[in-house]
Amino acid sequence: MKALLQFSQQHKHISQKGVVNVFKKSKSMTMALILCLAVVTAACGNNNSGSSTNSGNTASNGASSESGSDKKVTINFMHLWPEGVSAGQNKIVNQIITDYQNEHPNVTIKQEVLDNEQYKNKLKVLSASNQLPDVGVTWAAGFLKPYVDGNLFTPVDDLLSGELNGKFVAGTTEAYAIEGKTYALPLEFNIAPIYYNKEIFKKYNLEVPTTYEQFKQVVKTLSDNGVAPIALGNKDRWTGSLWYMYLADRIAGQETVANAIKGTAKFTDPGLQQAASEVQSLVDANAFVKGFNGLSNEEAKSEFTNGNAAMYLMGTWDLPNFTTNEDIPQSFRDSVGFFKFPTVEGGKGNADSWVGGPGVGLFVAENSKVKEEAKAFVQYFVTKWGEQSVTGAGVIPATKIDTSTLQLPQLYIDLFNELNKASSITLFADVQLPANAAETHLNMIQSLFGKAVNPEKFASEQDAAIVKGN
Amino acid sequence: MSSTTMKLGGEAKSGSRIGMKVGYAALYLVLVAVAIFQVYPLIWLLFFSLKNNQEVFNLSPFALPSPPHWENYSKVWNAGNIDTYFLNSVWITVAATAVTIVFGSLVTFAITRMKWKLSSLVLGLFMVAMMIPVHSTLIPLFSMFNKVHLIDNPLSLILSYVAFNMPITIMILLGFYIALPKEVEEAAVIDGASIHRVFFSIVFPMTSSVLATTGIINMIYNWNEFIFVNTFISSDKFKTLTVGVQNFIGQYTTDWGAIGATLMISILPILLTFLFLSDRIVEGIAAGSVKG
Amino acid sequence: MDKVLSNKKVIALYVLPSLLLILAVVYIPIVLTGYYGLNEWNGIGAMKWVGLDNYAALIKDHAFWSSAGHSLLLAVFSMLSLIIYLVVAMVLAAKLKGANLFRKIYLIPMLLSSVAIAQLWLKIYHPTNGIMNTLLESLGVANPPAWLAETDLVLFALFIPILWQYAGFYILIYYAALKNIPSSLEEAAKIDGASSFQIAYKIKFPLVMEVVKVTIVLAVVGSLKYFDLIYVMTDGGPNGSSEVMASYMYHKAFKAYDFGYGSAVGFFLLIICLVATWIIRKATASKDTIQYS
Repeated sequence: MKALLQFSQQHKHISQKGVVNVFKKSKSMTMALILCLAVVTAACGNNNSGSSTNSGNTASNGASSESGSDKKVTINFMHLWPEGVSAGQNKIVNQIITDYQNEHPNVTIKQEVLDNEQYKNKLKVLSASNQLPDVGVTWAAGFLKPYVDGNLFTPVDDLLSGELNGKFVAGTTEAYAIEGKTYALPLEFNIAPIYYNKEIFKKYNLEVPTTYEQFKQVVKTLSDNGVAPIALGNKDRWTGSLWYMYLADRIAGQETVANAIKGTAKFTDPGLQQAASEVQSLVDANAFVKGFNGLSNEEAKSEFTNGNAAMYLMGTWDLPNFTTNEDIPQSFRDSVGFFKFPTVEGGKGNADSWVGGPGVGLFVAENSKVKEEAKAFVQYFVTKWGEQSVTGAGVIPATKIDTSTLQLPQLYIDLFNELNKASSITLFADVQLPANAAETHLNMIQSLFGKAVNPEKFASEQDAAIVKGN
Repeated sequence: MSSTTMKLGGEAKSGSRIGMKVGYAALYLVLVAVAIFQVYPLIWLLFFSLKNNQEVFNLSPFALPSPPHWENYSKVWNAGNIDTYFLNSVWITVAATAVTIVFGSLVTFAITRMKWKLSSLVLGLFMVAMMIPVHSTLIPLFSMFNKVHLIDNPLSLILSYVAFNMPITIMILLGFYIALPKEVEEAAVIDGASIHRVFFSIVFPMTSSVLATTGIINMIYNWNEFIFVNTFISSDKFKTLTVGVQNFIGQYTTDWGAIGATLMISILPILLTFLFLSDRIVEGIAAGSVKG
Repeated sequence: MDKVLSNKKVIALYVLPSLLLILAVVYIPIVLTGYYGLNEWNGIGAMKWVGLDNYAALIKDHAFWSSAGHSLLLAVFSMLSLIIYLVVAMVLAAKLKGANLFRKIYLIPMLLSSVAIAQLWLKIYHPTNGIMNTLLESLGVANPPAWLAETDLVLFALFIPILWQYAGFYILIYYAALKNIPSSLEEAAKIDGASSFQIAYKIKFPLVMEVVKVTIVLAVVGSLKYFDLIYVMTDGGPNGSSEVMASYMYHKAFKAYDFGYGSAVGFFLLIICLVATWIIRKATASKDTIQYS
């Protein structure tokens, strides 16, 4: 305590002397500070006035919908193909925009690029303030519905019945239709085969399974030999949903699955419940990589591409990784094959029934000030994209293409042939279901795979969520 | 500093000398072990940034790929706009941090040193402002900024950063202000100094060590922030470095090596500033008392 | 003197700009969040007033309470780890050779963004080729756990990187607080014959106590609304076993398009923070602040 007292006196003493000195310096310091702040504020102010002309979502000089063709318009276009990683898509987008602007000198197209996750969040925030871009990317069915209910997307049926009539693969635009009107035009079309590593199969003398019994035997052989049979990243949940969907389709039949998702049938259907039990017996048979419920799809994919896991059920969007992607060793890419999900003995589904569907599509905002111009751009975009996306980015478009004229890797050609033979394509459950029910479905999938719920609870929880209808 | 260490040792009783030496050795061993653990992330990030996806997932995190993919860096650097993003990051971070610290100090000074009835209420208001999850604020903030035409304007970022970091800044300052001796200011007031002088020439400089601390914290937060940038900014010319990371997250694949390179590039300026500001913490009180 | 220190104009000048900014940028969203919570709203279409329905549902929502439990557990762990941070800061602030360098090195991880930290720890925890399991296997542990996939492990597996991520933040604050103690004070005590333990316990500790109190509040509030690493590393899974309040709010509002309900969760989180802070303030309140003032 004595020391403390001493200190404070000492301190006081020094500081009283110091006060005067500091004051001399202080004036300049204060001035400098104020100046700093002034500069900052001024800088902000300038930016403010500078940017206000190009801020806002629809062009300030946007023409009314029946405007003449020579009026200057800006179309805001938001998408999710950044230059860095989606180089192929990004190049096509930029090419299309440049061409379009050359053909329509009065139109300027302003892009905003975000990654998948950020894109979805921003779309939501923009919607709440009714500030959507004129043209943007959307997903089908369940994702689309709230935007349509909120009257934010405009129908594009006039385009479909006009120049684009018959250009789309049958069944693709329907995924974007609600109550008879179509609200977006699809750009992608995917199905999900089981990719497999031919080298591993050869090593253990395995044949491509065509029945589920054979498939289980393959799983057992691989597992017994210490090879992870299937790469699955079920942290993302939709990945596990694919397995359930296929089993449900093969056992209960395509219609039952589709109806259960629509709410006209129940997930408690015996066939659908059997599918859920099969999922759990696959888990018990160590069919999936270790820790699959904690792995992302990307981590799981690497288990497949590095040859640790023998099979991988995924959409055709991953084809570039198995054909053209130089980062992945040629020897691996050469050894990738695919097979159709095997049929289940006594089941109602057939091997040509696929899980898949259109991926992203383009919408035009209902309250866009340049709606007509935006629609014209979307029509142009969809057409041009269809011509270039397979060769330029490895993306299978939803518009019909003539594969015979294209130079494509064999894997693509084989899958195109399968597509043409498809008896039905069931849309991914999480895409088809409304958002809340989709969340329940995905959570239940993770719990089912993690054996935290039994097939009965798995079914009843989903039915309850679907009945709620949101 | 080393002479003090000597003195410390010298003052110890001779009997416990050996024990003390062993103790020090053990302490250093622990300190070095922890230090290695703490530096490892930087080295890991460097290695990470030199890998392609295949190597990111398959090589050991300790391994350097051969050959290293230096092209990740050129890929990042050539992917357009990174220089703009960089400059935006710098000036937005600096501006928001400076404003937060100065205004936070003013508020803390008024709350801890001046006498007014509502001070604890106002402090409470600032504290409650820390408690809202950021995702709850996005929709209301967007529509608000939209109404005042601040969307796609860096001012919306600065205002948000200042407002959301102000509470935590004030909280940290508070603990220091309370512990700060009042004699100096009291003397100055008796000498007839105005309150502004007391604040700007005595208190503000005296708190330089905590200012450096809150400066570092604010800077790190602002530098790494991306949710507000994505939500409020749509033009490339106003976006910041964190957006550079997104350039490599695709619809179905992510280019991890390039993300590593972006993170590596973006950590360098903040590392340098940190090393500089970090020394200010030590100098803080010493410099203050020489002046004072 | 009191006159100078209670000058209303000065107080207004110092406090009002910041206060107004906070009211506009933070309080309007808080109030609106409370309001959205009283509506059924998907964030896009029209709102439908439902009064306290969302809150009534929340009270009965097991998933929410389990996430709240996880958040509280994190808060307790963060509070306990403050002790470790304080000890480390005291060691660093002691007059050790190389303390300056150690301090800089120790704080490096706090510079990394959550994206980087999450990636690092995903590599550490990877079930087959992660650092942790490689190490365990080389030590002879057969079949080590898949850290992020086991429902009873995942939460604790996540706490470690979170506590590590924030170590720098608190060590920095404590370090600055300790350095703020005038060295003359310490020397005087030494002359009086105090041991370094006594110096630490009797002089340093009380002086940094104010700062410690503040950091307790920061740690608890920060933990209760924690989101980043959990979202990236597990997304709340598997089976919701690592879901916390903020991630639950995000899932409801942005994934399930239930913005009304999500807002109710957000508002409830705020109330829980308020109560926790009030309890901490009561528990740590002292009559007087500092000896030498």
